[in-house]
Amino acid sequence: MAVLELQNITKRFGGAAAVDNVSFEVGRGEIVALLGPSGCGKTTTLRMIAGFEWADEGRIFIGDADMALRQPYDRNVGLVFQDYALFPHMSVAQNIAFGMKNRGVPRAEIGRRIGEVLGQVQLPGIAERRPSQLSGGQQQRVALARALVTRPDIMLLDEPLSNLDARLRLQLRREIRTILSTFDCTSIIVTHDQEEAMGLADRIVLMNRGRIEQIDAPHDLYQHPKTLFAADFIGHANWIGGTLARRGVGAGAVETALGSIGVAPGAVADGPVTLCIRPERLALVDDETGVDTRLAAVVERHDPIGADLRIWSRLTDGTLVQSLEKNIGRELPAPGSAVILGFRVADCIVLPGARP
Amino acid sequence: MRRPGLTAALLWPALIIMAPLLLGPLLALGHESLKPFVGGRIGGNDAEALTFDNYAAIAAPEYVRYFLDTFRVGLISSAFALVLGFPMAHFIVRRAAPATRRLLIGGLVGTLFLSLIVRVYAIAMTFGPHGPLSGFSRLFGIASSSPDGAELMVVLGLMNTTLPLVALTLLGTLQNINPRLEEAAMSLGAPRWKTFFQVTVAMSLPGILSAGIIAYAFCISNLVVPMLVGRGFILFVSNLIYFRFSEVANFPSGAALSIVMMVVSVALFYGLLHLVRSQWQEAGK
Repeated sequence: MAVLELQNITKRFGGAAAVDNVSFEVGRGEIVALLGPSGCGKTTTLRMIAGFEWADEGRIFIGDADMALRQPYDRNVGLVFQDYALFPHMSVAQNIAFGMKNRGVPRAEIGRRIGEVLGQVQLPGIAERRPSQLSGGQQQRVALARALVTRPDIMLLDEPLSNLDARLRLQLRREIRTILSTFDCTSIIVTHDQEEAMGLADRIVLMNRGRIEQIDAPHDLYQHPKTLFAADFIGHANWIGGTLARRGVGAGAVETALGSIGVAPGAVADGPVTLCIRPERLALVDDETGVDTRLAAVVERHDPIGADLRIWSRLTDGTLVQSLEKNIGRELPAPGSAVILGFRVADCIVLPGARP
Repeated sequence: MRRPGLTAALLWPALIIMAPLLLGPLLALGHESLKPFVGGRIGGNDAEALTFDNYAAIAAPEYVRYFLDTFRVGLISSAFALVLGFPMAHFIVRRAAPATRRLLIGGLVGTLFLSLIVRVYAIAMTFGPHGPLSGFSRLFGIASSSPDGAELMVVLGLMNTTLPLVALTLLGTLQNINPRLEEAAMSLGAPRWKTFFQVTVAMSLPGILSAGIIAYAFCISNLVVPMLVGRGFILFVSNLIYFRFSEVANFPSGAALSIVMMVVSVALFYGLLHLVRSQWQEAGK
């Protein structure tokens, strides 16, 4: 059963639709990320679920209840903000007790739960401190505890890691994942950071200009993007434009400036298409084994990026492409040398439309 | 690199001018307050020995009334200004559209530019015993011609300044409160009124106290308002001092009253400031 259901939600700010006909469901215990660039409507969507904005059209259900006329304080949601939003004039314990008092939890139970939840977020013994005495990571964990302790139907996290430095972000991302699983808490995480969405969520709702582009598990979103936007927003990609020439049961082909490239049969409509090849699927090849398409190129430069080396090469039609090679001490072609780049039919994603 | 000596040296011009301007007259005032008074002459008698008689005279119970009136009416006016000014500032910061916000802030600043005399006479003409809105005081169960009516006029007259003063001071305080905190409180089940008092007001306490002190300082040092609309029923210590100096020419007594008023006010402010500081530290910063 869905814990949260959005049905055709639309929200306009002065004529322009910030959220345009958005529908999705979140199942019990599921962690869903609302991912997209800034201004894509993800935060507005979250604020409508929390009750701080009203939808112009459509309906929101939490459990079986229609939220249309519910005030934020009458919805059982837990909120975690980018800037933590801990009450600075209260101690950590008072912050955590705030929601329980409002929800009528008995006094003895409040004390017990404060100790328990602080243990669960790995911060025992800080109950009497002020938020200003805590680090950013600690504050965010207290904010998480404050929201979780009221046992909300759904947790809403708005860019929870954006205010932290890169190292801490990675650590806290894992911890948030663990904590949310411990509580078996249905959660929505708003983020513009694809790694955060991939690392935290069971499913990703990818948004662009107020609309949903694609809803999929992180791996599927990366492997099987359905639109140019999805392929572009998630991960890196090489693009080859062309026209779908033949679509058959066995195999298809796309006519490009580099010649005809074989593709897997698919449901893409006729007309201009764009081929997307992920850098790790584009390989330097010296013989014909294992690849279906071979492209001549000239190496331009290498970028060392730690575990991998990114090699930039120029194809015969002038397109610059990137490929990844494992950094395992193998000698790589020097800049200026001619190479052959190859990929398999299965590595080539066919997307409708031409890139601008 | 900044040389520490230079920054400190920039203080000196102000200090050199302020010291004689402030300390000099203050010392002269203290000296005057210790001179014996002789009727019919301006200034105390220099020939005779210094005495505390002037202080002894104003220790009489009838003088206490003026101090009590000053502090009481000042307190009422400041308190009302806070109670009315806080929601006003809250509206301007949180709810008002940009155009409305500019209009309201402009209006508040504008009133401060208007001469106090003009505003107080306008109040007297409107709400006084013969004004078109003299019935206003009856809303509080007070006859406009009674002593209580006069007190109401003084409170209104002072609020004419304290209200915009308080509202403008609180704008800054409220602007510094993260609106996410109010949303966090609501998502934790606190209705709007509870959020308002437990988060917004609670976090503004240091600002409320500072605004209150500014308003109170303005009130208890005021001369014009009680003089024009107090109608003799309400007189502040400032009025008493004014009479001593200008009408009966009892300089030593006026000086003694001034010194007492100054000491009491300074003590009061230090007490309040101490309160603000402790509140501020409690608020975490």
